[in-house]
Amino acid sequence: MTKYVLLLPEALVVAGAVFMLLLARFAPSRYRRWRTSLPVLAVLILLAALAVELRVGADVGSYFGGALLVDRFGLFVKAAVLLATAVGIAVADWGAEDSISIGLAMPMLAAFGVMVVASGGDFLSVWAGLELAGAAGVVMLATRRPDSALRLLLLGTAASALMLIGLAYVYATAGTADLGGVHGALLGVAPTLPLAVPVLVLLGALIYRASLAPLQLGAAHGLAAPSPMSIGLVTGLAAAAAVVAAVKVSVAVGAVSVAFSPYVEIVAALAMAGGGAGALAVRSPRTRIAFLAAGQTGWVIAGLGTQFRGGIGATIFLLGALVVAATAAPAAAGAAGISELAVSGLGTLRRARAAALSLAMLSLAGAPPLAGFFGEFTIGAALARSGHFELLAVGLLGSLLSLVAAIGTVRVLYLQNPPEEGRRGLVALPVWTRFSALGAIALCVVIAGYGVFANPISSLADQGAAALGLR
Amino acid sequence: MTAGILHAFASQTFPSPTPSTVPGANIFTSAFILSIGIWGPVVMAFVIGVLPNPRGRYDTLIKQIAFFTNLMVLFILFVAYNQFQNFLPSLQYEENRQWLPAIGASYHLGVDGPGILMVMLSALVGIISVLASTGIRTRVRSYFALLLLTQACVTGAIVAHDLFVLVLFWSAATVPLALLILGWGGPRREAAAWRLVGYWGAGTVALVLAVAGIYVATGATSFDMEVVLKAPIGARAEVIIGLALLIAGATRLPLFPLHGWVRDVYSDAPIGVVVVVASSASRLGAYVLLRVLVAGEPDGAKLLAPLIAGIAAVTVVYAAIAALRSVDIRHAAANLALVPGGVTALGLAALTPLSITGSVLSLFAGGMASALIVSVFATVSDRAQTRNALALSGLAARMPKLAWLTVLAGLGVLGVPVMASFTANEMTFFGAFRTQPVGAFAVAAGLALTAIAVAVLIQRVLFGPPNPDAPAVSDSSLSETWFLGLLAGALLWVGIVPGGPKIPGTDTPLFDPGVVNQMVANIPEIAAPYSGTTTP
Repeated sequence: MTKYVLLLPEALVVAGAVFMLLLARFAPSRYRRWRTSLPVLAVLILLAALAVELRVGADVGSYFGGALLVDRFGLFVKAAVLLATAVGIAVADWGAEDSISIGLAMPMLAAFGVMVVASGGDFLSVWAGLELAGAAGVVMLATRRPDSALRLLLLGTAASALMLIGLAYVYATAGTADLGGVHGALLGVAPTLPLAVPVLVLLGALIYRASLAPLQLGAAHGLAAPSPMSIGLVTGLAAAAAVVAAVKVSVAVGAVSVAFSPYVEIVAALAMAGGGAGALAVRSPRTRIAFLAAGQTGWVIAGLGTQFRGGIGATIFLLGALVVAATAAPAAAGAAGISELAVSGLGTLRRARAAALSLAMLSLAGAPPLAGFFGEFTIGAALARSGHFELLAVGLLGSLLSLVAAIGTVRVLYLQNPPEEGRRGLVALPVWTRFSALGAIALCVVIAGYGVFANPISSLADQGAAALGLR
Repeated sequence: MTAGILHAFASQTFPSPTPSTVPGANIFTSAFILSIGIWGPVVMAFVIGVLPNPRGRYDTLIKQIAFFTNLMVLFILFVAYNQFQNFLPSLQYEENRQWLPAIGASYHLGVDGPGILMVMLSALVGIISVLASTGIRTRVRSYFALLLLTQACVTGAIVAHDLFVLVLFWSAATVPLALLILGWGGPRREAAAWRLVGYWGAGTVALVLAVAGIYVATGATSFDMEVVLKAPIGARAEVIIGLALLIAGATRLPLFPLHGWVRDVYSDAPIGVVVVVASSASRLGAYVLLRVLVAGEPDGAKLLAPLIAGIAAVTVVYAAIAALRSVDIRHAAANLALVPGGVTALGLAALTPLSITGSVLSLFAGGMASALIVSVFATVSDRAQTRNALALSGLAARMPKLAWLTVLAGLGVLGVPVMASFTANEMTFFGAFRTQPVGAFAVAAGLALTAIAVAVLIQRVLFGPPNPDAPAVSDSSLSETWFLGLLAGALLWVGIVPGGPKIPGTDTPLFDPGVVNQMVANIPEIAAPYSGTTTP
């Protein structure tokens, strides 16, 4: 029984999500009475799960015949995802969400999906976790924008189909679906074209899910735009699930990295430069966040191509920063995030929220001394070590574009006067509550403190890379 | 004193200062003295940022907090300057802690002679920039919080002794500066801010690539300057890295042709920001060239020296001609502010102990002179209600204080005797004519052109016949006089007593051990690889 304590964080998160859904369905009167307290309860559950994870996650274990593994990689990813979800829920403007029960349950389920991917020991569990996180995003979107949800579902399905094809071919080549087994089986295999194609298809599908899907959502404008929390879920948690899966799969097929590294580099360069350019081309803070997240995802993808412990460690380190900022930033902007005018002067009217939004966007842009800068710098060092100076240069230029875009939004938040209520349109400012202010402060602390405590955090990320079998 | 220093350097020996007790020394010690200089302003910026300020009720308090924060930092760093042991070649006030052990990055701070001089420049500029910003009336809280953050970044980049920390602070300065210009700048603030971000961002990209190159070439185990800059990496790699460093330095200092941000920023940023940018923030460009290229990559520095000297010469000549052709007095001043940077670059290119020492002093003197000329003409244009040189004439009688300060600014840029820039220029040229005679001659010719430009500008604006159609003018306010006077005073102080004042009849320093005594620590070690340098 004590062995299963290691799975307690996952159990807590799932139980919390199910409770939220059941409460609204079967006890509507209590749900109405408690609805303002439910976000607090959800955050407490997530923080409890985080505490348990940090307490017992250092142990190593294997469950369900090796389908789930508890190791340092899982510890890092799960801690980052739990923190990101807790902060995102805390900072969200629940007045802008359609359903509190779904708005709380889906991020928790998505977090659970990422946790499953992080712990996944074989293709099946990785795929299952990925789909769970993606499905949570679809459900969340569907509450307000069924068309967006349908589009995401179709895109996700296409990506899944490609991924399954790739998985099947790799399974056929390696003779096992176990990630460790695949790693071992491919060690002596030459990177032939028949093997390289499915690996490319597999990684391409994952990268597609990680970096391109958010762009579909950010462009949606108007009052019917997806709720802030759903944007955070898709740009942060669902993308994180794909990135974590990509990390695990790329390490498993690392023996044939020569087959996919050039492709990964090109995709990373496109994402880094395209994310920065896209962020610069749009004005809506929400869309800008989506592009900034895509740009930083490009850095993470670039790290995948390094295929040595330091490089993957740096990738994991940046992933932690990315998931927190990308999940919480749209939530911090609230419904006002759909237009620049709506957030004008937010620094005067909602100081903590504006600070959180500013820091999150600057972190996504890689501005020092915030979390994103530390992650991008460590990946930059890994890229230099592996001789990818051209990719580093493209990434730096992408970050420069991202920085200009982020400064543009920070300027609107702080240096422009709030518009008259009539000019703001029908988009309301996020409601101020003590809880959301605390959440905003927590987000600021996490993003600023990530660099201050970079030593233990990056060490844990490095141990995570070692747990994947890299030296 | 100047003659003595020159004589010592001319004979290739360095003054050998001995430990001496300075009144006021050892009254304050801390293992974190440099960290206090960086993080003190950051903490106070945070305090200012969260301070409630309904309807600007506490604007004055916020300005006072910013002023006294800078005063405290200046006091602490002046104590550090006083206690600095100039007979030691090693780093002092060193702090070293692991930060990102996975890549070998550490929080390593420390100062040597050039570092302590730059730190003093930054601290002094902190006070002056607050005094120059007393006219800020809107969003006071945000302005002074950003100003303090900028100063912290500049100080951090100066004292960084790890390339990771250097990149961190170097690039971090761009964000608050851009916001300051966007929020409180003049009519062309958009262009000014985005040009600054673009050029400085490009410089940051070049610096990061150079740092990455050094990191890889030295085994990819550490970013510590003590380690990576002492490791041999081969001439070819050093040249490539040196070129990247040159681009990074040239965007900041700035040098032709990467000076595109100067005109807009110096003429449209608020004066307090101009002071910071023109003095300490832009000098970081030369400081990085000195610290990383000259001190760490001797083969690359030797091979790139003619190029740097050529760029320096073109910068000075271009600045003088552009100033002569400018009708807008703020544009003219912005162009003249390029001149000291060119002289500094020449000293670095010459690679002789004397020229390097001149460059180091030029960091201080050139920074002050650039800030003075830009801010004095900004004040003149504000007080005269026009920037058009054709409309301004005969202002000396109507604004006597500003007239004096304008003349001092012009002399400071030129480097005439009694100004600190004179001592710096002397050392630079004496050192440079040995190894870079063509470049030195061209820079000297550029300085002659600059003298003409300064004379024409001053004659036209101050001493011509008064223009009866010009708008009404007034002399500088008390705060303007103070901040401009402090800039001019610093130039004069170091120019008149570069070795510090002595107790009459003794060799004991009165309270200032002297800039030229303190800054030479470690320069012999920096210059050691070039002791045999001859004209290429």
